[in-house]
Amino acid sequence: MAPMEKTDLLQGTLDLLILKVVALGPVHGYGIAQRIRQMSKDVLQVQQGSLYPALHRLEKRGWLAAEWGESENGRQAKFYRLPAKGRKQLASEEQTWNRLAGAVGLILLAEQ
Amino acid sequence: MAWWKRGVRRDEAVDREIAEHVARLTEDYVAQGMTPEEARRLAWVEFGGREQVKQAVREVHLWAFGEKVGFHFETVLRFLRKAPGFSLAVILTLALGIGANSAIFSAIDAIVLRPLAFPHGDELVRIYQHDSQGRNANTFVAPSRLEDWNRLATTFAGITGYYKDDLSELSGPLPEKVTLGLVAPRFLAVLGVAPVLGRNFVPEEEHWGGPASVLISHAFWLRRFHGDANVLSRKVRLGSTSYAVVGVMPEGFSYPDRDVDMWTPSAPDAPFAQRRDATWFSVIGRMKPGISLNQAKADLATVQQQLGRQYPKPDAELSTSMEPLKATVIGGVGKSLWLLYGSVSLLLLIACSNIAALLLARTTEREQEIAIRFSLGASRRTIVMQLLSEVVGLSLLGGLAAIGVAAAAASGFHLLAERLPRASEVHLNWAVAGYALACAVATAVLCGLYPALRATRVGPANGLAAGSRGQVSARNPLQWVLAGVQVTLAVMLLIGAGLLLRSLDTLGHVDAGFDASHVLTLQVSGSWGETTNMPAVAQRIDRTLDGLRTLPGVEDAATAAMLPGASELYQTEFTIDGKADPARKILADTRWVSSRYFSTMTIPILAGEPCAKASTPPQIMVNRTFANLYLSGGTAIGHMIKAAGHSDFGVNGMVRGVVADAREEGLNEPPAPTVYSCYSAPNPFPNYLIRTKGEPMAMADAIRNRIHVLEPGRSVYAVMPLEQHLSDAFTEDRLRTMLLTVFAMSAVALACIGLYGTLSYLVRRRQREVGVRLALGAMRGQIVGRFLFQGLRVVAIGCTAGLLAAAFLSRFLRGMLFGVSRLDPATYVAVVGVILTVAAMACLVPALRAAFVEPIKVLRED
Repeated sequence: MAPMEKTDLLQGTLDLLILKVVALGPVHGYGIAQRIRQMSKDVLQVQQGSLYPALHRLEKRGWLAAEWGESENGRQAKFYRLPAKGRKQLASEEQTWNRLAGAVGLILLAEQ
Repeated sequence: MAWWKRGVRRDEAVDREIAEHVARLTEDYVAQGMTPEEARRLAWVEFGGREQVKQAVREVHLWAFGEKVGFHFETVLRFLRKAPGFSLAVILTLALGIGANSAIFSAIDAIVLRPLAFPHGDELVRIYQHDSQGRNANTFVAPSRLEDWNRLATTFAGITGYYKDDLSELSGPLPEKVTLGLVAPRFLAVLGVAPVLGRNFVPEEEHWGGPASVLISHAFWLRRFHGDANVLSRKVRLGSTSYAVVGVMPEGFSYPDRDVDMWTPSAPDAPFAQRRDATWFSVIGRMKPGISLNQAKADLATVQQQLGRQYPKPDAELSTSMEPLKATVIGGVGKSLWLLYGSVSLLLLIACSNIAALLLARTTEREQEIAIRFSLGASRRTIVMQLLSEVVGLSLLGGLAAIGVAAAAASGFHLLAERLPRASEVHLNWAVAGYALACAVATAVLCGLYPALRATRVGPANGLAAGSRGQVSARNPLQWVLAGVQVTLAVMLLIGAGLLLRSLDTLGHVDAGFDASHVLTLQVSGSWGETTNMPAVAQRIDRTLDGLRTLPGVEDAATAAMLPGASELYQTEFTIDGKADPARKILADTRWVSSRYFSTMTIPILAGEPCAKASTPPQIMVNRTFANLYLSGGTAIGHMIKAAGHSDFGVNGMVRGVVADAREEGLNEPPAPTVYSCYSAPNPFPNYLIRTKGEPMAMADAIRNRIHVLEPGRSVYAVMPLEQHLSDAFTEDRLRTMLLTVFAMSAVALACIGLYGTLSYLVRRRQREVGVRLALGAMRGQIVGRFLFQGLRVVAIGCTAGLLAAAFLSRFLRGMLFGVSRLDPATYVAVVGVILTVAAMACLVPALRAAFVEPIKVLRED
């Protein structure tokens, strides 16, 4: 399929998306990238180069927990899941995002 | 290096993760119809540079680690640059506070805590004998008894003793006074010190009639022989005997005290050393390893009982006691040092609370900056660590500066070396430096933790919003509590200093009972050897006194065994007309003085006449207290006073007159009943007291020359005005008072800074409120009044708490106060007055500033 225009993602937003995806169930790095693409209907394609640093940063912060396990094809993969701390962080960032989006929307709706 | 291994393992893990990801991507592409090789190539291309990704991941972890070190370092530097004034103030405050603390700590460490500079110094004890009849109260021991103890006591590795004599060393151009230590055998062995050049005494030299030899001190070696390595072939000449120098002692060894220049054996088998009632030696013993003090005491008591059975007179009437040598060396200085340490620590606490308050104010200003950091993704822990690292950085800098202050103070202690025992051992060492840095870190955490936690308590959203609107009513109870605590501490220190100052002042106005001005004191060297012919000594001294009185400028001269101003160590029991009082013991001080003592010291004679020089029966004078206490029926004159017991040096004579009381014990002691025995030569080197027409020291040279003419071959030393001798007794008190005063003033200054800072901050926070009030028509005076009231309310509470605390804690000053009660109302009231005035001024400045804001300017600032 033809590569769509890659939309730039702010670092903060990437964190938010990763957390949301992982909230839906434990998943490995590749799976996260796929899910983001699928759920956004191919609009958002994560740069692999930014995915893993982000995953490690979130793990370092304690918002993601990781362990090596067996994946569906029998090979070893590193699975990420969302601990309680991460759940709290996700809620907070979701709230911020909604406020921000709402505010921007208000301005854009304003008549001339 | 564990972190290195962790890094390598992590790298490998990341490798696997990436490889796994690429493998899946490849599978996907193959499923879409590409060839395996193409799929693989595309997958890698799509993934991006593997090395770059690995590097990015590495940086994430390094970032986490670096946050702990390099980042913090940068933060500190940035902080210093942005707020140089604040940083400098904090660093200076800490440098002084921690520096003073470390200095006192180093003194305590060297003087009180560290063991003596002898090997296994804790095994050394001083041993005393006591006359159970209370007759002869000196604690010196006869040579024969010392040898018996050494032989019979099983818990001691060795017992030895010493006494001092002052002699003239005659081999140089002028006679020089040297202090000779006469030591029992085993002296060096017991102390555990060896000569640094030459050898210890050999048994031959420790016997009567053996070769005369000395060990010289390091200082004497440098001074007299200029450090000549061939000193072992030289001789010194003391009196009529030549002594060979057999060794040089190590630098710093000067037992029993600093003036000892050389040591020589005192032979236990000398003919005049056989009397068991002799009292010569100050005794030291070294306990065997593992023996406790109680065991040693019990052992020696048993030995003494055994000797008592063997020699009923005098051993049966003697008992023994002992104490660790270290205790005798330190004396009362330990108590002063701990008092100082307490004060300095209080000061440091005050400084810390100031810094904490200032930090609170600062971090509140930075709320916006902190909120931005939060929104950029920093965790709370990171920000707290960052804030804390700023404080730690400042504190460490302050701690380093403090080490410098402590080093300077250490050399200051050396200057006080004459007054302070072991002061020369005070050094800056790793222990002290470590203590200073530990203090720095502790104060940093103490001061910085709470402000940092408080500032990061709010979430990022609140912070961003709050920063822009500004809070109208900011309540900061904690800051006020801190300021109040500072006032309390300042009040406590100020009261302590005030009480001590008043004591000193009262001391200065005590009537001594004698006129100490215009009196010169000195000593002329003699030797214990002269005691074999005391009448000759008396003749010599009387001749000298007569010769001195003919000098122009000298009004009168006298001798005394002990100078006034030093406390007599003991009291002697007496009988009056051969009878003892059944109701109580007749105890009095004994002073041996020449007949012109009272006129030289201007002590008025209240009844009778001054005693004549030499008469039969010998004549004595008593002071008014003695006469009132023990001779109150009828006239005092004519009674026969005799010291109870049969000591050779007992006073024995007829009362010739009564003199007025004189505070010879020391200005801070009431006069004790005293018996004056008129004898110009109680020992071969009494103290001379010479009343001069003009300034005492101006006559010093003339007097020295006259004595040299009268008594060639003797040296004159310890020349000083009597006033100086008396005031020297209070040097330690003065020092203590001065230091406490300095601390108190610093505490007051710090408290004022604290009040000023807190009120300033409050004023700034409430600027909008003030602006609103002014705009609504409030008077400026009202605004000033309100702020002033807030400040003074805290001061009042702090003062009250301080007064109560001082009243409670002043019990610790009891031994040091003279003539003023520890709850002296005048002092307390004065201190409250001072604090209130000063604090009011400190509060007034920010309060005035508050009232003079332009309401429009403030309201517009949004």
